[in-house]
Amino acid sequence: MNYISLAEKLVAKALKAGADAAEIYISADRNLTVNILNGEIETIEEADSAGVGIRVIAGGSLGFSYSNSLDMKALEDTVSMAVKFARLTTPDENNILPELAGVTTVDGLFDPDIEGVALDRKIAMALELEKMTMSDVRITKSSGSSYGESISEVFIASSHGPSRSFKSSGCSLGVSVVAEKGDQKKTGGEYSSRRFFSDLTPADQIAAKAARKAYEMLDPKMVKTQKAAVIFDPDVAGSLLRGVIAALNGERVLQGASFLASYMGKQFASPLLTIIDDGTRERSLGASPFDGEGVPTQKRVLVDKGVVNGFLYNTIAARRAGTVSTGNAARNGYTSLPGIGTHHLSLEKGSHTRPEIIAATEKGLLLNGVTGYGIDAVSGNFSGGASGFWIEKGEILYPVDGLTIAGSGEAILNGIDMMGNDIDMDRSFAAPTFRIAEMQIGGI
Amino acid sequence: MRLNQFSVRDIPRRRFLGMTMKGGLAVAVTPALLSQLTSCSGGASSSGTVLDTDRDMLSRVLKKALEKGGDFSEVYIENRISKQIVMEESKFRSGLYGISQGAGVRVISGNKTGYAYTDIVDEERLMRAAEVAAYVASGGGAGTVVSLTDTDYKSFVTVQMPLEQIADEQRIEIIKRADQAALSYDPRIKMAMVDYYDEVRGRVIANSEGLYLRDELPMLFFIVQAMSSDGKARHMARERLSLHSGFEMFSQVTPEEVAQNAAREAVAMLSAEEAPAGIMDVVMQNGWGGVLVHEAVGHPLEADNIAKGIGAFTGKVGQKVASDCFTMIDDGTLPNYRGTVNYDDEGTPAQHNVLIENGVLNGYMNDILSARQLGMKRTGNGRRESFRYIPIPRMTNTFIAQGKDDPAEILASTKKGIYVQSLSGGSVNPVTGMFNFTCREAYLIENGKKTVPVRGATLIGSCMDVISNIDAVGNDLAFGPGICGKGQSAEVTAGQPTVRIRGINVGGSKA
Repeated sequence: MNYISLAEKLVAKALKAGADAAEIYISADRNLTVNILNGEIETIEEADSAGVGIRVIAGGSLGFSYSNSLDMKALEDTVSMAVKFARLTTPDENNILPELAGVTTVDGLFDPDIEGVALDRKIAMALELEKMTMSDVRITKSSGSSYGESISEVFIASSHGPSRSFKSSGCSLGVSVVAEKGDQKKTGGEYSSRRFFSDLTPADQIAAKAARKAYEMLDPKMVKTQKAAVIFDPDVAGSLLRGVIAALNGERVLQGASFLASYMGKQFASPLLTIIDDGTRERSLGASPFDGEGVPTQKRVLVDKGVVNGFLYNTIAARRAGTVSTGNAARNGYTSLPGIGTHHLSLEKGSHTRPEIIAATEKGLLLNGVTGYGIDAVSGNFSGGASGFWIEKGEILYPVDGLTIAGSGEAILNGIDMMGNDIDMDRSFAAPTFRIAEMQIGGI
Repeated sequence: MRLNQFSVRDIPRRRFLGMTMKGGLAVAVTPALLSQLTSCSGGASSSGTVLDTDRDMLSRVLKKALEKGGDFSEVYIENRISKQIVMEESKFRSGLYGISQGAGVRVISGNKTGYAYTDIVDEERLMRAAEVAAYVASGGGAGTVVSLTDTDYKSFVTVQMPLEQIADEQRIEIIKRADQAALSYDPRIKMAMVDYYDEVRGRVIANSEGLYLRDELPMLFFIVQAMSSDGKARHMARERLSLHSGFEMFSQVTPEEVAQNAAREAVAMLSAEEAPAGIMDVVMQNGWGGVLVHEAVGHPLEADNIAKGIGAFTGKVGQKVASDCFTMIDDGTLPNYRGTVNYDDEGTPAQHNVLIENGVLNGYMNDILSARQLGMKRTGNGRRESFRYIPIPRMTNTFIAQGKDDPAEILASTKKGIYVQSLSGGSVNPVTGMFNFTCREAYLIENGKKTVPVRGATLIGSCMDVISNIDAVGNDLAFGPGICGKGQSAEVTAGQPTVRIRGINVGGSKA
């Protein structure tokens, strides 16, 4: 089906039905998931689907509708419902569509080879990954391995600029296992997720890391309740910092529901903390030529050396704030109005190696597992369950589990005193190892 | 804990949701004057015909699905009509009217499951889905399809004011009342967010065992969030109300009560101090605190990880796993409760399942596949978020049974600790049994009395320890509604009387 011409046809129909402005968002996806357990296929799931989201503005009022039936009669009804509903709602001067012009050129979003790889080979890869992980004698049981992929196309047509589309792919390979010793059980998992099939991390590396995560946590100890340094492994950086990202959401800021609302241009964290959102990074899962309402994506410094440098906006929130969209409109496919989200997030790396950070720590926790909700975007508080390794005099002594860590966002973020240089930019939240000088640790 | 759960995490959230939220026909509205919605609410709602799919055709699809040698096949057809209206900052920000429909075909062959779904329900697509789902089967004795006969089960849901007959003015009115009640509660309440949702979900389930079921269940979900600020501290409080029922839900509990509860919490928590850190006694107030056992014990008792031989409670049936005063039940038959299912999404009737009785493990919650793998009777816990997902073992209404202790006495006899009035939610690793919860509203206990409020601390521990360390169970059983996530979401309730747990690690920020 020619989705661009369908989308443009629906824009014309919406305008004819009485809309002053109309935007049609179409997405079409194909998904495959293979789960392996104990050397056998556990599940295979496959589906194709497509749908249309219709946003119209009439007399300053906004209406939205969606349909997963591409039957012209159903689509016409959906368009007229959107227009009809828009007419009934109260106008708001902030209700505008973006003026669309160019798009950002981003290479490597679609892997043309991914669908050419036979299903049997994909199954074999997941089987092999599980086998490799289980070959470690310290690993006693499998929770399963999996391969997943999706091919997705997005089309946007608007009364306010030229149509646009892009095609993207994604695939992932992962495994999860259990290490047992007496009554103890520890789980470990690792995965790789990429746009290109050939970029997936080799299975032996995934297997080794998943196995290590499980067995290295056997025989944990508890430590006393105390204040000590906490070193964040790259695996858990996002668990802490996603609350900071949520607090940079321009709409939350406008609502006063962000602990960073009054910090634009002001220092709120250690000068070692710089956070970048990049929608333009080649071959990155977070990248795209335009956002959920067609606005070109950007690379932006959100936090610059501990100072809030920019909030995240879509078109409507930006207008309300008296600024312009930052290309951060995010959609849950075609079924929702554009919200606000990020692309590829990374921290700026520092100067220390990870071993240096550990060696420089007199007493503390090397954190590799955090549970809970991260920093609360509204209040800025943080509290979570913690596991990892205990360090004394610069040496890793033993695994620890069942601890808690907590503090105010202000104290934690200002407490970052060492930033590592061990960043892997292929992660969705790319961060190096970093240290917080002191946090409250709860134990026995 | 399914692997694909974390393997998709690297795909940005909106994209992941895009991949998993496909389908439906819906109309959404932003800003006010929604009172006029009534005039067009009937527009697109009359097309729930996928449920009328011809039964002979379903038999052909079930047969096709078994052609490669599978031993069980199933067609699940769903039609969901929903309305959602959101008010933020006293403005109607969006309204949504939707129809989501589609079908999934599942084949089980030994331990293997094949699944494919389609949002267009016709014979051609269902046959194609059947072929894809059958991929997992190879050779073996091909299963047979028993002819489909109507199955009828008792309904535990009664409706006095059907949603279809409720004018949208009434929905708007409920939302406005909640907004006003929250804002007028105290000048320190700066904003309210009111989220109104209702749906009617129709299901047809047909399987190769000859089962044919069709039903429709209404559901309401009403959430009020109130944000307080005194210039120094800020707190976002939440209160939820949800039932499988008609609009009469709001005469049982008024929108004002819901809003005032949220506002009360928001104001109370402004004076919260830092929580202490370390291991201490915890008293959990009756109600939604039951999410602690939902996570800590409920998930580990779901049979999928037991069948894999990795779950924390594997091989422990008949063993003493908890203290004598601890009995835990999952019951999908409680009248009109949010977690009530009548029968699960595989067609197994809902039951009153006693999971742990006086400290002894009685059994697990299963779906068809795990029941078969473990050689257990089906318990009616095979649930799915929509036709886009395979059913997996899930909880319904899960609770700690009524005890004998006086709640006031439980508090009075606790010298020092934390009194947890409500929890935001939590999670558990079902293999290791390590759980965590975040407190929403909590207080210090000093000499048997609730004293100062303390900030959102995390509670962590291991499931085995927590149920052995419960030493008092109150006589004030109550429930709260929630959304449970396990790769896919399910509506549940969690309940408990007031209980005391000796020795939980509290993630405070004060020594």
